[in-house]
Amino acid sequence: MIEVRNLTHRYGETTAVDDVSLSVPDGQFCCLAGPNGSGKTTLVRHFNGLLSPDSGAVLINGTPVESDVVAARAGVGMVFQDPRDGFVAATVGADVAFGPENLGLDRAEIDRRVADALDAVRMAGRESDRIADLSGGERERVAIAGALAMDPDHLVLDEPFTGLDWPARRAVLDRLADLHESGVSVVVVTHDLRDVSALADRVVVLRDGRIALDAADPAPDELADLGVRPPSA
Amino acid sequence: MIGYVPGDSLSHRLDPRTKLAVQAAFAAAAFAHTTPVGLAALTVLALGILAASATPLLPTLREYRAFAPFLVAAPLVEGATLGPPWFVPGDAVFPALASYRVVLLLLVSTAYVRTTTARDSRAAIQRLVPGRVGVVLGAGVGFVLRLLPLLRADLSSIRDATNARLGGERSTVERIRLVATTGLRRAFLRSDRFALALQARCFAWNPTLPPLSFSRRDPPAFALAAVLVASAVL
Amino acid sequence: MATTTEPVELVGDEATKNVARAAVFAAVTSATAPVSMTHPLAPNVPITLQTLWVFLAGVVLGPLWAGVSFTLYLLAGLVGLPVFAGGASGLGVVLGPTGGFLVSFPLAAAATGLVVHGVSDLRAPADVSVPRLVTAMVVGSAVIYAVGALGFSVNQGVGVVSAVATVVLPFLPVASLKVAATVAVVRSDALVAR
Repeated sequence: MIEVRNLTHRYGETTAVDDVSLSVPDGQFCCLAGPNGSGKTTLVRHFNGLLSPDSGAVLINGTPVESDVVAARAGVGMVFQDPRDGFVAATVGADVAFGPENLGLDRAEIDRRVADALDAVRMAGRESDRIADLSGGERERVAIAGALAMDPDHLVLDEPFTGLDWPARRAVLDRLADLHESGVSVVVVTHDLRDVSALADRVVVLRDGRIALDAADPAPDELADLGVRPPSA
Repeated sequence: MIGYVPGDSLSHRLDPRTKLAVQAAFAAAAFAHTTPVGLAALTVLALGILAASATPLLPTLREYRAFAPFLVAAPLVEGATLGPPWFVPGDAVFPALASYRVVLLLLVSTAYVRTTTARDSRAAIQRLVPGRVGVVLGAGVGFVLRLLPLLRADLSSIRDATNARLGGERSTVERIRLVATTGLRRAFLRSDRFALALQARCFAWNPTLPPLSFSRRDPPAFALAAVLVASAVL
Repeated sequence: MATTTEPVELVGDEATKNVARAAVFAAVTSATAPVSMTHPLAPNVPITLQTLWVFLAGVVLGPLWAGVSFTLYLLAGLVGLPVFAGGASGLGVVLGPTGGFLVSFPLAAAATGLVVHGVSDLRAPADVSVPRLVTAMVVGSAVIYAVGALGFSVNQGVGVVSAVATVVLPFLPVASLKVAATVAVVRSDALVAR
């Protein structure tokens, strides 16, 4: 469970997230939508302690993030907007292994997790491929594998479909559906609900740092009014 | 460009720490014995190392042709005098031997580079340098390897944009300034995002190190290194 | 997380940021290496912009992390990453004619940083006066040329005078260009709000 309690985050004079409360139960597939600058990315970066709130708190599985940052970072896998910026090693295997290595796991366990994570994104056996040689869709999937290898309960993806063509987007969606099926809760940050809303249990729309809408199946014109591209546009 | 080449030569199968030791010992011996006899003996050894590393001699030498002007210039400049007889051959002998020494060292280090993955080198650094310094240096070398293609692409797009905008008209200082200013902005952006990625994946002072292990092939190579070091200091 | 054997000691936020910057500066230095000009007085001698990044690292990272950055650069090259000028790497290059310059980079980056910032907290680069910047880069250049010439002397077996004549004097005109360019970069808006 991800619980956000009265969270406020300011950048100087600007309030990016304004007194937001939200909880994402285990196993839920939640779309966090909103136009650019609505505070989506700022909000999710509190889930694993990349940002600290000015007030309020985030609890991961009942534990405040700041009291156990390691648990929050291992428990909430985060995939960044441009996956090229999320890679820390030159080859697929070394990159996916980075998280489990930092958790101090033994080598056999690390190898198992790397193999499982790559398998989950249909990149099995690609350990020695160079990151620089991957296609956009493969990069996105390897970035997901890097997060999965930490064995998270929750997976947060920031605009995962940016710049992907339809087959690549389809492949990422299918993998997210599989992961959701396997019990991981998924939060997709997006300004565009095409494709992904079919998988979502819930759509939360942020606007000017506040929750403007929280519904299982929001009406398209309502979404459009809030600056979000609706599912059937 | 010289880089790792997959293979199964003897050197490929040695532990990177062993190869670093042999390399360093070879360099020590070469500096201690920069004499015709010493360098002749080391030439035989260097050719042996190349053979054990699946590294071809002539293509390797060609890779380093940019160094040739320096290697030729050193003995010429040292032998030259400002007045008759203008050139003293005796003064040029040692620099010429030193230039030859550089050639041998380039050959031996190429054998290391071609047979050792960056991951193995990184693991060796992290084991040889203790504590947090080892983490920064070992992990840092891995990060440099990852960032190289990213920043190459960034800088080449900057260069193209600069050329398109400026043509060949601006001064050298102005060109350097433009490339560096844009490059610096990009570097900050990349490093901020890279730091976030490290944090999200629990970048730690006490990670599990990449695997490395000595095998029965390593002791003889270490013995070679010991002999070379002994020859250098005795 | 049950398999964790000892508590994970996270690298702190500030240190992570500095490690990331150090690695990026090392990478950007080698990525810039191919942007070389050919020296008008000495054809075949590539003039690279590596030293520009040495100075910039000192200015923006401060003495400690600038030193770390170019230690990473040197180490990466030593173990075979194609970071030295022209994509070269390896111990043979460091013990070759230009090796002294490579060894000088961490020292020069730290020296530049030391003159700009002293040993206490870093100051904003835009607040540093031009005379101080120029002094820092002159000191940095002095370290580069001194260690570079020393390296040439040792590695090539020549006297100091020959070394200076071969690897310092021909490059001094270009060195002043680089100092001018670096000052221009530091005073530009690239560093505002950092």
